[in-house]
Amino acid sequence: MSTIVEKFRQYRKPGYYEKYDYHWAMTIDLDRCTGCEACMVACQAENNIPIVGEEQYAMNREIQWIRIERYWEGEYPNIKMNFMPMLCQQCDDAPCETACPVFATYHNQDGLNTQIYNRCIGTRTCAVYCPYEVRYFNWFTYTWDEPLEQQLNPDVSVREKGIMEKCTFCIQRIRIAKDLAKDDDRRRVRDGEVIPACVQSCPTEALIFGNSNDPEAKVTKMMNNHRGYKVLEELNTTPSIVYLTKAHS
Amino acid sequence: MSKISRRDLLQYIGAGGIGAVGGVLYGEGVQRKVELLIPQVIPPEDYSPGVATWYNTVCNQCSAGCGITVRIREGKAKKIEGNPVHPISQGRTCARGQAGLNALYNPDRIRTPMQNVGQTGAGRFVEISWDEALTTVGSRISRLKIEGKANSVRLLSGQVRGHLDELFAQFMDLLGSEHYQQYDFTYPGTIRAANRISFGVEQLPYYDIKNADFLLSFGADYLGTWLSPVHHSLAYGHLRQGRAGQRGKTVQIEPRMSLSGASADEWIPARPGTEGLLALGIANAIVGAGRYLGSDRDQWSVALEAYSPSVVSGKTDVSEDIIVRIAKEFSDNKSSLAIAGGAAAAGTNAVATVVAVNALNYLVGNLNQPGGVIFNSNSAFSTMPSSNQASFQEMLDLVDAMESGEVEVLLVNDTNPVFALPDHVGFRRAMEKVALVVALSTFHDETTQMADLILPTSTYLESWGDDAPDPGVGFPVASISQPVIAKLYDAIPVGDIVLSMARQIGGELPVSMHWSSMEEFIKDRWREEYVSRASDGEDQDFESFWRAALEAGVWGQPGAIDSDPSVPSSASIIASIADPESKFAGNESDYAFVLHPYLTATFLDGRGANLPWLQEMPDPMTSVVYGSWAELNPVTADEMGIREGDILDIESPAGSIRVPALIFPAIRPGVVAIPIGQGHAEYGRYAKDRGVNPINIVAPLMDDQTGDLAWAATRVKVKATGERLHIIKTGGVSRTLGRQILGPSNDHS
Repeated sequence: MSTIVEKFRQYRKPGYYEKYDYHWAMTIDLDRCTGCEACMVACQAENNIPIVGEEQYAMNREIQWIRIERYWEGEYPNIKMNFMPMLCQQCDDAPCETACPVFATYHNQDGLNTQIYNRCIGTRTCAVYCPYEVRYFNWFTYTWDEPLEQQLNPDVSVREKGIMEKCTFCIQRIRIAKDLAKDDDRRRVRDGEVIPACVQSCPTEALIFGNSNDPEAKVTKMMNNHRGYKVLEELNTTPSIVYLTKAHS
Repeated sequence: MSKISRRDLLQYIGAGGIGAVGGVLYGEGVQRKVELLIPQVIPPEDYSPGVATWYNTVCNQCSAGCGITVRIREGKAKKIEGNPVHPISQGRTCARGQAGLNALYNPDRIRTPMQNVGQTGAGRFVEISWDEALTTVGSRISRLKIEGKANSVRLLSGQVRGHLDELFAQFMDLLGSEHYQQYDFTYPGTIRAANRISFGVEQLPYYDIKNADFLLSFGADYLGTWLSPVHHSLAYGHLRQGRAGQRGKTVQIEPRMSLSGASADEWIPARPGTEGLLALGIANAIVGAGRYLGSDRDQWSVALEAYSPSVVSGKTDVSEDIIVRIAKEFSDNKSSLAIAGGAAAAGTNAVATVVAVNALNYLVGNLNQPGGVIFNSNSAFSTMPSSNQASFQEMLDLVDAMESGEVEVLLVNDTNPVFALPDHVGFRRAMEKVALVVALSTFHDETTQMADLILPTSTYLESWGDDAPDPGVGFPVASISQPVIAKLYDAIPVGDIVLSMARQIGGELPVSMHWSSMEEFIKDRWREEYVSRASDGEDQDFESFWRAALEAGVWGQPGAIDSDPSVPSSASIIASIADPESKFAGNESDYAFVLHPYLTATFLDGRGANLPWLQEMPDPMTSVVYGSWAELNPVTADEMGIREGDILDIESPAGSIRVPALIFPAIRPGVVAIPIGQGHAEYGRYAKDRGVNPINIVAPLMDDQTGDLAWAATRVKVKATGERLHIIKTGGVSRTLGRQILGPSNDHS
C-alpha cells in the first residue's frame, strides 16, 4: 500500500509527464463545431457503449463518453446557441483519481486518466468528484438485441453492471499505433497515426488529437492558439483538452 | 468396424454426411444447411483473426453519396468511417452515416420472403421460398405483358442513382411499362426546377461554401439535412477557420433555429413564406445602391421595383436596416453565396423563392466563381436516364390510378410513401385496390405492412452498386458500392432481385438483361465507360483499373470541368422573377400558428428512426430523445399557459395530432415546429409507436410550378389538452450562469 501511495504522489508532481514520450492531448475548436453529434455516435460505435433504452434514459442513466452541451445566450430574437463537446478532460491533476478507494482510476505515463474495469467496485465516488460530469455508471449489465452484438469492437471490453466508465481517448487505437511503431523500430508514433473515433468522424475538423510532448505536433500548435482556454481551469484540474473559443467575424 | 480417422470423420461431418444418412433412413428431408464442425480450416481470403481489413463503399443513409470505409474483423462489420479519398466525405461522416451498422445488424430486418395470407394490412405474413415468391411475381407480370397490360405494372422506388437506376428503367422499359417513378420526401425538386428557370440547367450545382466569405442561407439547413451535410460541414469548417486571418460570415434566415442557424453569426426569423420576398428586397437594395454594375442595371431596377426594402420589411417582418445592411455585406464581400432550401423551398412559392435567391447570386457575379455557384459538369456516367422523381402531384395521380384499378402490380422499393405522404392522400387505402403489391424492402415499415408479397433486400453494405453523387463537386465523380461482408439472412440485393425477375418473366427481358448478377452488370457498365473514355494511347487494361477503383471506392476526374463555364444571361433571370409569397392552408383567424415541420439531423424524413443509436442520440438543438415534441416560443407559451410536457392538440385543416410541448427559445412567435421522423406505426421495435408524424397534418398544397408538396404551408391551431407527458432530455443547465465555460471572452449570459 505504501508503495502505491508513493508512486501516486510521484506522478502528481508537476512536470512528471514531460519525462515520458507521450502526453496525449486534444483541442476542440468551438468556432468549427456545429453540434452535429457525429462524434457521439462514432464513440458509441467504437467503444461498445450500450443502448440503455428509453426507460433508463428517462432516469438519466444514459452513457455518453462524449456529449454535446448546449448553452443559450440572450433572448428571442437576439438569441444564440453555443455547442460544446464535453468528454473526459484527461486531467493531469484529476480529482477522480484521488477519490477512488481502490485505485481503479489512475494516471498512466501517457498522461491518460485510465479506468481499470476489473478493479472498479462501483462506489461512484469518482463521478461525484469529477467537475465535468463525464463519468458514467453501468446500472445494469446492458445487452444488445441480437444480432446487434456482432458490431461490437473486439478491441474494447464490454462493461458490466457496477462499473464506472468514461472516455479513454480511444486507448485501443493508441495501443495499436504504438505496436506498429515498435514493429517499425520507431521509438514514437508519428503525429496523426492515432486518431480517436470522435476526431476521425468530425465533419468540420473541429477536433484535433495528438501528443503534446511533441512540439511539432498539430495539436501542440493548436494548443498555443490565442483563442485557447481550458474549461473550469480555476479548479486546477490541469485538463489535457484545450478549447478554442468562438471567434467573431 | 473399420477405423475412421479423425480427418475422415471431419470430412463426413463437413459434408453433412452423418446427418444426411439419418435423415434418409427416417424418410425425412434434411433441411439443415451444411455446417462445418471446425469452421474455416482454409480461411477465406482477407480473413485473419485479429487483423482488421477495410472496404470502401458508399453510404446510403441519405442521398448525398458520401464515400465510406468499413472496418471488418473476423467477417463482421465493426465501424464505419469516411473514405479519405472520396471528394464528398473526405474521411468524415455524420451521425446517420455512423449508424449504418445499426441497419446492417438490425434485429428487425426482414429475413425471408413473406406472403400476406390475411386481409391487406392485417400483417399476417407467412414465410415462403424465393422460388415461390419470384414465380408469383414473374407469372403475374408476364401474363400482364402478354395481355398487353404492361402499363398496369408500376415501379415506385426511393431515390436511386447510378446504374441501379438504369437497371430499373431498363426493366420497366423492356416490360413495356411507362411507370417507373421514385419518391423521396427530401428530394430537392423545387431547387432543380428553379435552376432550370434561372440558369437553364436542371441540376444541383456545387455550392462552394468552402471558399465563400459570406454565406446567406434562406432556410437551408446545410449543416444538418440539406443536400450534402458532411461535405457542407467540411466546407463550413474551412470557411470559419481554414484561412489564416480570414473568417467567413454566415447568416441564416428561418423561423425556427436549425443546426445551421445555431452556427450562424446572425439568425433572422423572417415571417414564414416570405423568404423569397426578402431575397428580392436584398436584391433591390443591391441594385438600388449602385452595387450592381452590369450594363442591364436598368432592367434589374424595373424588375425589382416592387420590392423596395421598406415594402419588403413590412411583409417579412425584418427591419429595413437589416435588409440594407445584408445587401451591403452581401455585395461588399469578395465571394458571397446565397442558398435556399428547407421550409423556404417548400411553400406554394418554392420555385419562385429559389429563383429569387438565384438572382442574388447572379447580382454579385458569383456564378462559376470560387466561393459561388459552380455548375456541375456532366455526370460521370454517360448513359443515365433522366430523373424519374415523382412530385406530390404525380403521387396523387398514382393514388388515383390505384383507386381506379388501373394498377395491377405495384413494386415498391425502399421507399415508404404511407409514412412520407399525409394520411389524407389515401396511399394506404389505395394500395388495397392493387391486385399485387410487392414490397422490396430491408425493413418492415408502414408500406410493407400493406404488401401482398415482401421480398427482403440486402442493405447497402451487402450490395453491389455505384453512384454519381448529386450535387457533385464540380468535376465528374463516380463511386463504387461493394459488399463489405457476406450477405445476411435470406435477403438479396435489389439489383439481383430485378435480374431474377427478368429471368422469371422471360421473353426479351433476360436477353437484354443478360447479367447473372448485379456485380457483373456494374462491372460491365464500368467497362463500357472506361472504354469510351480511354483516349488514344491510354492504358486499356480495364481489369487493373477496376481493381484500383474498387480499392479506392471512387473514381474522379479533378480538373475536368467540361460544362459550359459561361454565365447564363441575366435576361432570363430577370424574366423569371415572380412574386414569391407563399399561400397557406387555413385562414389566420382560425388557425393562428404556422406549422413548421422540419427534417431532423437524427432521422431525416423518418428513415433513421429504426436505428437505436439514433434514437438515443439527443436531438442536436433540444437534446430530446425517444419521442416527438412541438416547439413554441417562450413568450407565446407563457401567454397560453403552456408548460413543457403539456400535451397539445395541433389541428390543421387536414387533420390533427397530439404532441407534448417544448419551450424553445429560438422560434418565432406564431410558429409551431414539429420534427419529422417519429410516429411510425411499423418499422421495428425501436421506431414503432413512438411520437407523431407531422406530415399527416400537412395540407395538400403544392408548389405552383413543380407540383411538389408545400409541406411548410399549413396553418394550425394549438390548444392544450390538459394532459401531460415527461419529455426525455439529456438535460443539464441550458445557460452558462457566468461560469465562463465557453471561454473567457465569450460569456455574456
